[in-house]
Amino acid sequence: MQIKPILSALRRHKAGTFLIAMQIALTLAIVCNALFIIQQRLAHLSEPTGVDEQNILVIQNEWVGSSTPAQADARIREDLRVLRELPGVADATASNSYPLRGSGWDDGVKLKADQLQDSSGATIYFGDERFLGTLGLKLAAGRNFRAEEITGMDVRDRLAPPVVMVTRALADKLFPGSDAVGQTIYLAGSPTTIVGVVDLLQAQSVDRWASAFAYRSVIVPRRLGISLGGFYIVRAMPGQLQDVMRAAPKALFANNPRRVINDEDGVLSFKEVRARAYERDRGMAILMGVICLVLLAITAAGIVGLTSFWVGQRRKQIGVRRALGATRQDILHYFMTENLLISVGGVLAGMLLAVAINLWLVTRFEMQRLSLLYLLGGVVILLLLGQGAVLAPAMRASRVPPVEAPRSV
Amino acid sequence: MLKMTHLSKVYRTEVVETYALRDFNINVNEGEFVAVTGPSGSGKTTFLTIAGLLETFTGGQYHLDGVEVSNLNDNERSRIRNEKIGFIFQAFNLIPDLNVFDNVEVPLRYRGMKAPERKERIMNALDRVGLASRAKHYPAELSGGQQQRVAIARALAGSPRLLLADEPTGNLDTQMARGVMELLEEIHREGATIVMVTHDPELAARAQRNVHIIDGQVVDLAEDPRFHHAVHQARANSPA
Repeated sequence: MQIKPILSALRRHKAGTFLIAMQIALTLAIVCNALFIIQQRLAHLSEPTGVDEQNILVIQNEWVGSSTPAQADARIREDLRVLRELPGVADATASNSYPLRGSGWDDGVKLKADQLQDSSGATIYFGDERFLGTLGLKLAAGRNFRAEEITGMDVRDRLAPPVVMVTRALADKLFPGSDAVGQTIYLAGSPTTIVGVVDLLQAQSVDRWASAFAYRSVIVPRRLGISLGGFYIVRAMPGQLQDVMRAAPKALFANNPRRVINDEDGVLSFKEVRARAYERDRGMAILMGVICLVLLAITAAGIVGLTSFWVGQRRKQIGVRRALGATRQDILHYFMTENLLISVGGVLAGMLLAVAINLWLVTRFEMQRLSLLYLLGGVVILLLLGQGAVLAPAMRASRVPPVEAPRSV
Repeated sequence: MLKMTHLSKVYRTEVVETYALRDFNINVNEGEFVAVTGPSGSGKTTFLTIAGLLETFTGGQYHLDGVEVSNLNDNERSRIRNEKIGFIFQAFNLIPDLNVFDNVEVPLRYRGMKAPERKERIMNALDRVGLASRAKHYPAELSGGQQQRVAIARALAGSPRLLLADEPTGNLDTQMARGVMELLEEIHREGATIVMVTHDPELAARAQRNVHIIDGQVVDLAEDPRFHHAVHQARANSPA
């Protein structure tokens, strides 16, 4: 191996060596952390909602003109009847919100009436006896709502349902190790009994602030009969989603034209809901990915540039080495080894820098600790990048003929 | 040791063919010290680069140490250069980034020699040229004569069968040139085969035999009376 003489030669080219090693270090530190953030974003993107996403569409309905709560509730029930009778519709329900919507009603849940601090935060979903079936949710324990338990509710009414269903995540939080069914909780200050536990139902928001109660939801047996309107959640039969998306608003308008369903986002498939919910995360992941690629490209270009410069500068000594018995492979290995040594120096510094940046992010932005796998992955990427980038100039060097030695007189 | 028969070297462009060597014949025996002389552009350096396997030739035959070299591939030519030939260049051609020790070590590393043997050979070679104490110096810290001595040590360290010297004193002043020449003579006395290209009649006179090249061909010295006279004079003035 030529390590000792290569190191000796590098000591005579400190500036170029240092700059390229630092570029590698900085790239490694940024790429490791960026890839880690991308992975976290992508994992966030694929979190399950618990909903039968393939067959569900959501309609945002707004009423024109004012109405009493009773009138609004009657209109909702009429709309639901129309929707449920549509060909291709498996079921329909009305709610104040749905998973991944972005915003809605979140509230604190307490275990005692006089409790000052909430036992947990939770998303509040309004739903009737067909809410679970329409969304494709699984009942893990207890029972579903009965039709007679469902009542209309005005925005000014106090939320005081006699019974509720909760998600398993909330049940486990409130009653760890024991059965939640039959237990009493306090919602908006009123006691209510848990009658059912739903396996999985994601919250409305996927933002960081809601991550503490991402799967802790409460379903109350209510229809939000307000004049402003609400959401209809429709489950189409398999393969019928597009047809139902076209037919549903027409049927609703035919039933009652005094409404607004926005052309742009009034009717959304759940696939579109998911895409909208994670638009920022996806955008961030793409941006991070592009930054990584640009950084890697700049580093590769730096290595190619410096090595090409060194090959040009050392053309004479390459000829001398060839004259003294170096084969083409020896010259190729020389430059590859030289790059490897610089890269190893760079990645060692880069690992320290990556950990330092991650610690700063952990402290400032509550990020998770950087996994060692990402660090090692980054090291492998940078070393391979270095070897790949140096290959072309190193091959050019290996083609310098030995006759360059006497020519250089 | 070195035998070229009807050898030719042609440089071709789209419009012209230039013969650097034409029907070139030379035979150097083992242990000989041959000076190759001739005017500028006569083909001396081309002869040396072909003799040293730095360049291929166009036609004819070349046997080096009994091996016909025309069909050797690049790796085989590299191996022969490394094991059998020692080069001494006019411009010394030391590697400026390496110290004296590392410079002498270069051909030995390419031979795959173990470190202890390399070290022994390097120190012996440096001792031989009187520069053992300068092993850690860089070329830029040495005089021209010292650099050429390092180059000679580098050529000697691998115990080559043939030493090829291209104007070895061309970049040196008279005193340094004399020292280098004495070193080459000493090496020759110890049994080395040396082929030295020079345009200096005085240096040529100190070789055992002179080969004169004009227009890419070996000619009889008698055909160039001026050179013949110069060499004759130089030999007459030689203290030996």
